[in-house]
Amino acid sequence: MAKISPKIIAEAIYRAGEGKHKAELDVVLKNAVKLLVSKKMLSSSDLVLQSLQDIIDKKNKVVRAKISSAKHLKKEDKDQLEEEIKKKYHAESVESVFFENEELLGGVRIEVKDEVIDTTYRNRLNQLEKFLITSK
Amino acid sequence: MSNHIVESLKKQIEDFKIETKAEKVGKVLEVFDGIAKVSGLSDLKASEMVTFPNGEVGVALNLEEDSAGIIILGDYSKIKEGDVVKATGRILEVGVGDSLIGRVVNAIGEPIDGKGSIKTDKTYPIERVASGVMSRLSVDQPVATGIKAIDAIIPVGRGQRELIIGDRQTGKTALAIDAILNQKGQNMICVYVSIGQKDSKLRKLQVRLEEGGAMEYTVIVSAGASDSSALSYIAPYTGVSIAEYFMDQGKDVLIIYDDLSKHAVAYREISLLLRRPPGREAYPGDVFYLHSRLLERACRRNEKYGGGSITAFPIIETQAGDISAYIPTNVISITDGQIFLETDLFYKGIRPAVNVGSSVSRVGSSAQIKAMKKVAGTLKLDLAQYRELEAFAQFGSDLDESTKRQLERGKRSVEVLKQPQYSPVKTEHQVVVFYALVKGFMDDIAVDKIKDFEKGLIDYSERQAKTFYKEIAESKMWTEKGEGELVKAITDFKASFQK
Repeated sequence: MAKISPKIIAEAIYRAGEGKHKAELDVVLKNAVKLLVSKKMLSSSDLVLQSLQDIIDKKNKVVRAKISSAKHLKKEDKDQLEEEIKKKYHAESVESVFFENEELLGGVRIEVKDEVIDTTYRNRLNQLEKFLITSK
Repeated sequence: MSNHIVESLKKQIEDFKIETKAEKVGKVLEVFDGIAKVSGLSDLKASEMVTFPNGEVGVALNLEEDSAGIIILGDYSKIKEGDVVKATGRILEVGVGDSLIGRVVNAIGEPIDGKGSIKTDKTYPIERVASGVMSRLSVDQPVATGIKAIDAIIPVGRGQRELIIGDRQTGKTALAIDAILNQKGQNMICVYVSIGQKDSKLRKLQVRLEEGGAMEYTVIVSAGASDSSALSYIAPYTGVSIAEYFMDQGKDVLIIYDDLSKHAVAYREISLLLRRPPGREAYPGDVFYLHSRLLERACRRNEKYGGGSITAFPIIETQAGDISAYIPTNVISITDGQIFLETDLFYKGIRPAVNVGSSVSRVGSSAQIKAMKKVAGTLKLDLAQYRELEAFAQFGSDLDESTKRQLERGKRSVEVLKQPQYSPVKTEHQVVVFYALVKGFMDDIAVDKIKDFEKGLIDYSERQAKTFYKEIAESKMWTEKGEGELVKAITDFKASFQK
């Protein structure tokens, strides 16, 4: 039998809990933990939770973004960025986490799932460095 | 001076255009023995290049549900868990161009001969689909290897795939090197792919090719014994992509894979590390496809598609002469014939140690020139009969005249086919020698004098049978006039030789 992946377990938990109320949901979650124990996959519970989060986000059209910038961003800038992300990923809402990192020098770096849009000065300088080395 | 540098830098910076695009990234989950397991990279393609933070390049080989198995082409000691991996969107490719000629490059096309960087015009993907049926032409042009036993009995044509198979130390590489050395002036580009060989052996080989002036038309691709198995795995594909570049220019290319046994072992190592299910001799199930897709790229194109060709000489090393092992049988079935080298013959002093009985060329005979076909037509049969009679003659001394004659002729044939290393013989010279042999001119020459006779005859006939040589060069066959001249030259030379 094929190996059960955390993604499959998360999908099963989601289906089992779909449309259930709190008390019933508690039972589903307890059973899910029992299943993880019986399959000796308790150590993968983080991955299962991550997969479950991804499934729920997909169903609810939620996009999670990590936005890094060199300086603190104003509220208008943050809203504008979130609006752009919504448009690009056809999402209904965006859950963003903002970070400040002086090493980026300027610009922003947006991470959504496994995609990165990097407009920081640090990245541009790195690209310029590579260009100057290879164009010799 | 400093102004000039500043100006040059300023110009370069002005030329620099920043591209901002969404990049696919992943994270290294684990690294072991040149393999990295990476999460993320959702749209990754098979054989796509990825880059690691320290600039190392990897190739996606296993695409799984949540992760990808990447083979790292280079130093993997600095790659650690959690490193960010970027997808490039490009299939692994190698720089190709005329500037590669005379150079030694590694499996990803970087120079390793200390002669500076190589500027290439364009890049070719290392994995390409072989030429289709409509672009091909049947094999009908010879590849003159300069080795008498091959050119006469196992002829090879342009676009053919001829396997060189034998145990260790039987002269497989020597045969291939002789073939490269003989391509001088034959309008052929050679690509030598060294897989898992010692660097000292490669260096020796490079020096030998330089001495013979063969590096002027040769490219060496090397994945040495100290390189990772990932590099050994991709080296032949890099080699054939370089060969394809020249073929696309309408040129004829000779490619040597030395050797595919080590290539299969490297692929087995990678496959086992990637946890692919092992099959016979622990090789993965697609080891046949590994070699068939490589060798299928050797072909002869028709005029509409440039008319170039790739002739492949894959080499396979057997263990104790066992040609029925997994990899040898696979490659035998893929190729258009094999040259079988035997240890016994090698130690008997028959060099090149070609076992004429087990060797075959399935398509090469149509590529043989008419003159060679005429003189060498019966040679294989004569040799086979000689071997049979030789075994039979050991049991009794009373032999009839015709058997004795056959035995004597056989001894002389074997002697004629002997050839020292790095001394390829031109086709027209081979025709002269075989003519003298099959017409019985050598029957009364002592076996130990055959080599001297052969050498003298070539020198003498070149001066005295010019018409014959001219006819061979122009129409690949002699006329009565040329033949008469050659017979006279042989008779005259023999008379002076025997005095």
